[in-house]
Amino acid sequence: MKKIFGVMDMKVKFFAYLRDYTKTKEIEVKNCETVRELLKRLSEIYGGKFAKEVFEGENLSSRIIVLVNGRNIVHLENLDTKLKDEDEISLFPVVAGG
Amino acid sequence: MFGWTGKIIRVNLTDKSIKIESLNMKDAYMYLGGRGLGTKIIMDEVDPKVDPLSPENKLIFMTGPLTGTLAACSGRYEVVAKAPLTGTIGAANSGGHFGPELKFAGYDGIIFEGKAEKPVYLWVNDDKIELRSAEHLWGKNTFETTDELLKETAEDARVACIGPGGEKLVLFATVMNDKHRAAGRSGMGAVMGSKNLKAVVVRGSRSIEVADPDAFIKACKDAIKKLKEHPVTGTGLPTYGTEILINILNQAGALPTRNWRDGGYFEYAEEISGEALREKYLVKNKACFGCPIGCGRITRIPEGKYKGFGEGPEYEAGWALGANCGVRDLAAVSKANFICNELGIDPITMGCTIACTMEMYEKGIITKEEIGFKAPFGDADALVELTRMAGLREGFGDKLAQGSYRLASSYGHPELSMSVKKQEMPAYDARGVQGMGLEYATSNRGGCHVRGYMTSPEILGIPVKLDPLVTTDKAKWLKTFQDLTAVVDSANICLFTTFAIGLPEISAMLKTAIGWDYTDEEVMKIGERIWNLERMFNLSAGFTKADDTLPPRLLTEPLKVGPAKGKVVELDVMLKEYYEVRGWDEDGVPTEEKLKELDIK
Repeated sequence: MKKIFGVMDMKVKFFAYLRDYTKTKEIEVKNCETVRELLKRLSEIYGGKFAKEVFEGENLSSRIIVLVNGRNIVHLENLDTKLKDEDEISLFPVVAGG
Repeated sequence: MFGWTGKIIRVNLTDKSIKIESLNMKDAYMYLGGRGLGTKIIMDEVDPKVDPLSPENKLIFMTGPLTGTLAACSGRYEVVAKAPLTGTIGAANSGGHFGPELKFAGYDGIIFEGKAEKPVYLWVNDDKIELRSAEHLWGKNTFETTDELLKETAEDARVACIGPGGEKLVLFATVMNDKHRAAGRSGMGAVMGSKNLKAVVVRGSRSIEVADPDAFIKACKDAIKKLKEHPVTGTGLPTYGTEILINILNQAGALPTRNWRDGGYFEYAEEISGEALREKYLVKNKACFGCPIGCGRITRIPEGKYKGFGEGPEYEAGWALGANCGVRDLAAVSKANFICNELGIDPITMGCTIACTMEMYEKGIITKEEIGFKAPFGDADALVELTRMAGLREGFGDKLAQGSYRLASSYGHPELSMSVKKQEMPAYDARGVQGMGLEYATSNRGGCHVRGYMTSPEILGIPVKLDPLVTTDKAKWLKTFQDLTAVVDSANICLFTTFAIGLPEISAMLKTAIGWDYTDEEVMKIGERIWNLERMFNLSAGFTKADDTLPPRLLTEPLKVGPAKGKVVELDVMLKEYYEVRGWDEDGVPTEEKLKELDIK
């Protein structure tokens, strides 16, 4: 998806085995007002397996970490966290330690 | 005897005597084993003011009651001594197969005293125990040493040894077992080297008894099932290893970069990440004894100047040798890590000491002539060469071998050593993960992450999600993590089990193994007791509240980018609360009441 009118798109980055579903490390997206909308959009693009990783019913899956500009959405407004152009969203499965 | 074997080997290297002693059961119930029991013995037998590299220090290999049993991840043991790098009580934990083998031979632990006149190794073969000459092994690296020893003892024995690092008293030398597993931090390998003890080889044919086999097996199966089902222990760790954290911390703006100078974001993090390792150099994963997780990495760099084979890098090593040195070349980082294992030195301290050197080089404080070549941040060749030199104390490596604090101080810039109590802090920028700042400042062996792993709740959300940017409740949570970790390190199962299971499951395995019915609270109290005992050792060794601090960079230089932009570590607030929560006075000294409550004299 290209930049238009000089407006920066949101950048979404995928990590660990999420990349197996998306086949890409990152994607640019526009016109998603909230995290919920974004995750729904990504589920449409990447399919049911991806959707299962990010959603548990209508809620955020407990198996996923979502950061907006480095901040975990749990400390913002969860799925209702508002997004703007130029935001960087990172998606991690709950993976590790050490 | 259940869980424990009830027998300890005591070796006096000076007079060459070998004795078998009964395990002190009162101490065993109060301190469990491993880190706790090893610390108790050091506390009873060693003057806290002793020179760690003198014959008066003692070196203890100690397993726990769960080591070698069917418990989840039961491959662990501890090496305990007064630590040469820090001067605190030192205890380094390791996995692999050595610990279980010692139990199978019939012993809970080995205490080494004094100093051998010439290099020796101890060969423990069930009831046959002997000291043998190791002069022909002195100078060999850990791989060669292990291979040689297996030939001259038994093919199926297990070896714990030092490399040239320990022999040459590199202050952060490790004890390596099963070639690639490390009792890594604070210089236990140097204590071993100072005693002219090259290795301990063990072979055992017995089994371990538990008090209630049916209940024990049920508890173990339950724990293992939970480990397999949890995303961290069941999928994440086996697939990506611990290096998966590189991208996570980087995105959270808390990956320390270039000696912590460049804030919490490394622009090349992706290139040294767990994903990259998996893609490029991973052969397969590997597990320790009794472990269903298998987080170990078998790694091969097939060609090029960094060609090599071994295990790792793990997260802290990959960070220290990578992002912290500004190095983006994963092959070079892996090569440096292999060298650390072969020479027997701690890659965390190594990477941080090189990072400190690089910053001083860029500032013109150390010159190219002194080092022998250029050493700016990002120079992969310098990284690998400096690692080799340090492990062998060659040239400038002799200075590196002292660790970053003594190195930086010798140039008049102690503030450029990112260390606490002279041990370098690992891979979480505390300005972005406040609870880790408190852990670094208060940990009983200096800059250590693992004993109070606040990253788990603050970044990963396990067991609950805490906000990494605030100080609220961090003291209380840290105490819980520190106490529980002490229990785990003393029962000697792997700490990674705690991503998926907690006190109830660990307690269930412990109680059914040793046949003692005590409450979960009493189990936590054991952890608290161990923590306070370590604190008492350190206070007697001369540490004070002034040492519970952080480098000036963390207290006065705010992060410039990321979610924690503008933040320093708010240590004062957390530390005050921490002393209160611990029941210590305002100087951080455990009160009489607290010591009495914990039965510590």
